[in-house]
Amino acid sequence: MLPLSDLLLWSLVGVLFGSLISWIPGFHIFNIMALLVAVFGVGSLMPVQAFPFFAIGAIVAYAYVSAISSVYFSVADESAVFLLFPTQRYLLLGRGHEAVLLYLIGAVAGTLILVLGLLFVFPRVLPPIYQATSPYVTYFLVAIVLFMFMSEWPKEGDRGRTPAERLWLAWRQILAGIFVFFISGILGFIVMNTNLLPTTSAYTRLTPMFIGFFGMSWVLLNILSNPPMLEQVPDDRVESSVYNTLKASFGGALGGTIAAVYPIITGGMGALVAGHMTSQRGDDAFIISQGVNRVIYYVGAFTLLFLPQLRLTRGAAAWLVSSIYTPKSYAEYLAAIGAILLSAGISFLFTYYISRFMARSFNIVHLKKLSYLVAITLVAISYVLTGWMGIAVLFVSTAIGMTAAAFNTRRSYCLGGLILPVLISMTGHTGYFMHLLGLG
Amino acid sequence: MRGFTHYISGLAAATFFAALVGDLRLGILIPVIAAAAAYFPDFVDFKFGKFFARRDYEIDPAPWDEKKHYAPKLVKVSELSDANRYQFFALKGRVKEILARGSGKVSYKVLKDGKEETVTEEYNSIVFTLDDGTGEITVEAFGDDYRFFEEEFGSIAEGKELLVFGYVDVGEDGTIKFVVSDAPHPQGIADTIKRAIEEAYREGERIVKIHNIRLPGDVYRRFTVHLDPPKREVRVEMGPIVTPGGVAIGGDVPEYRKYGIAKVDVPFIKTYPKPTRIDSFSGPEIAFRRAEFRGKMVVKDRFLPWHHGFSHSMTMGIIIGIVVFAFFKLIGYEHAGALALASMVGQWLHVFEDQLGFMGSNLFPPLTKDVIPGFKLGESGSGLTNFSTAWLMIALMIWNFNRFTDPRPIPISDAKLLLYLIWPSIIGFGIAIIRSFRLRREINQLMDYYTNLDAFEEMEEVGGI
Repeated sequence: MLPLSDLLLWSLVGVLFGSLISWIPGFHIFNIMALLVAVFGVGSLMPVQAFPFFAIGAIVAYAYVSAISSVYFSVADESAVFLLFPTQRYLLLGRGHEAVLLYLIGAVAGTLILVLGLLFVFPRVLPPIYQATSPYVTYFLVAIVLFMFMSEWPKEGDRGRTPAERLWLAWRQILAGIFVFFISGILGFIVMNTNLLPTTSAYTRLTPMFIGFFGMSWVLLNILSNPPMLEQVPDDRVESSVYNTLKASFGGALGGTIAAVYPIITGGMGALVAGHMTSQRGDDAFIISQGVNRVIYYVGAFTLLFLPQLRLTRGAAAWLVSSIYTPKSYAEYLAAIGAILLSAGISFLFTYYISRFMARSFNIVHLKKLSYLVAITLVAISYVLTGWMGIAVLFVSTAIGMTAAAFNTRRSYCLGGLILPVLISMTGHTGYFMHLLGLG
Repeated sequence: MRGFTHYISGLAAATFFAALVGDLRLGILIPVIAAAAAYFPDFVDFKFGKFFARRDYEIDPAPWDEKKHYAPKLVKVSELSDANRYQFFALKGRVKEILARGSGKVSYKVLKDGKEETVTEEYNSIVFTLDDGTGEITVEAFGDDYRFFEEEFGSIAEGKELLVFGYVDVGEDGTIKFVVSDAPHPQGIADTIKRAIEEAYREGERIVKIHNIRLPGDVYRRFTVHLDPPKREVRVEMGPIVTPGGVAIGGDVPEYRKYGIAKVDVPFIKTYPKPTRIDSFSGPEIAFRRAEFRGKMVVKDRFLPWHHGFSHSMTMGIIIGIVVFAFFKLIGYEHAGALALASMVGQWLHVFEDQLGFMGSNLFPPLTKDVIPGFKLGESGSGLTNFSTAWLMIALMIWNFNRFTDPRPIPISDAKLLLYLIWPSIIGFGIAIIRSFRLRREINQLMDYYTNLDAFEEMEEVGGI
């Protein structure tokens, strides 16, 4: 193990790196870390033992600073999408900074819950619970996917003239969601199980697909919808209550923990489950719980790599890091907790000041222009990581992401790109599906 | 209870069967059917029943623009009639003639602390005709609305092109006119509900669908419907603009068009002691049914009449069990019997969990004909009861997984492990039960107040208020 001062220093570098790129819409820290490894390698940049700490800093920064892009750069005109996220509504009301502050309240609560959990609860409770439940992960995963379909709330249908028309309007949206899930799944299956993408892209083969589903499709929506750049209020003021904050923190922590511990279950899926379990309501509570959820999901999942009794590898960053160096000692685990606190403090300040700056200068550069720049960058990242075929995958996955938006279904159905091939593999049907698709 | 609470109960029900847990360990995922069975009653009601339900009256205070899916709808003058009275629309046309400009005093009644007060204030107004090529309509703006109108369009002159928002009204001479506003007038909603209650008293039942008011930017104009049995009134209050998360973002309407009050000529009671609030997602359906209450004929309300019907009965659980058994036996699933039992228990858990709330269900149709009232432990959206139930189910799943695995991953006694796992639920249910005593006492007091038979008789003698 490197000296503690070195580890904290590399965490600091990670925070600075993460903070610099995490506010840019469409960028995901996992993609950028993969790019870093693919282009520069790690050994030449930093000691391999420092890489997990650099990653912790970068991931904490992402969990905090990405609030900027999701609040200020995911604007869509109401004619382009049926339902806006609460953060988008805040922005359209000139209260973008308030949304960031609510998120930060959640992120700080999430950090505290995570650190307390890592110190006092996870090492004792997690290993036995995980051991008892891990053989049934596929059951939970299938159950959550089935629930996503069954619980899709029909947003249309009320105003149809006849019962048949009402039913069709409601089911059009539900069927589109199922379509998006399966078409994403087929794309994911092909990407994972064929040599469509070069073998040199082993760690990044899913990157262009996810950039398309969640990054590029948003950026294109920004360009197409040409949203108004409304004046923002930069005041430090939030409307919420202690009760809402506590309830949202609890729900967010529950969802984040489920997603962090169990493979394939993402933060969004965990939030869906926890939101129902705690019967969460209110835009302020939603944004706070997102802050808690994302910190625990991203940072907590990665930190499980450090937990000596468990050492779970959860998430793309953990896989990337563990291929280079896996922390082994309890001292490294404690150092990681310290790095989380340090990184969270710095990331908080970054996010706060970037948000104030954004709120003051929001309408100086139009989002449409910025979105063009980001779109070009995302294409470049995909090309560097996966070549021309990666660009083709990016194109298809972007179309799928746009389909979800067009049919007004949950964007999370695109996770079929990951869930379906993994389920097929877990149940031992990969060969059968290869044959079915004419791939082998 | 919320959907996931029911669903996870089905997941937990399956884990009580060692054979099914064994299948899950082998990667056979069929037992997830038990969870689907547990969620089935809500799935059927909200994905099918809701759309086939009868609607005797459809109240749409602000029809949607068909392309944009929000209000106000841009209409032509020729499309409007007195059937649209109080509905919120947009009109685009040219000012043809200024009929009047002026100022004066206006008096209107407002409700303050439940009492009517008359308010008089000064106002400015303008009345003009608008021509959109399909016809002409008189447009009037006064009071606060005139001020906003002037801010928006400046001085109004003949020939000026305008896009006007407002509600349709009918003048004393029977001609329709357009009143500048940012919301529909609530009187139309109150009048229709009153008519439905009176018809239900005569005919037996009337079902009213109330649509919500969606505005640009994914925000909603909130309004509340309050049935006041002692006063025999339907009161509708137009509220602020709110986000789908329920946060009010301003846009309160002026007092003079905030309330709609309709007097009802027949006795009615309200079974749930809170006003019905309509804002985001979709508006509710309310059935008004003639019923006998303490020897008197009254009209009772029932929220979402298509919900908690046959799908939420124990009988349906038996049917689900039979269907699941038959299907999975047919396809050769070895543990079809256990799966059928788990599915039936899952569906029964749903019925039981809903019975803890207010609505209640008809539990054993066709043996029973009417809804058995809920235990009133908490509202369906209560975070406390939902979490306590869901956590209990998670605890039971972990407990079952542990006891059906050899060697046991958590090597402590079953009783001890169960206690370690379920204590949050015990505390949660304890708090909910203590709260429910207070809630039930309040409801009983309100019901006594609402259903005071002396008051009904007295009102009947004098022919209503």
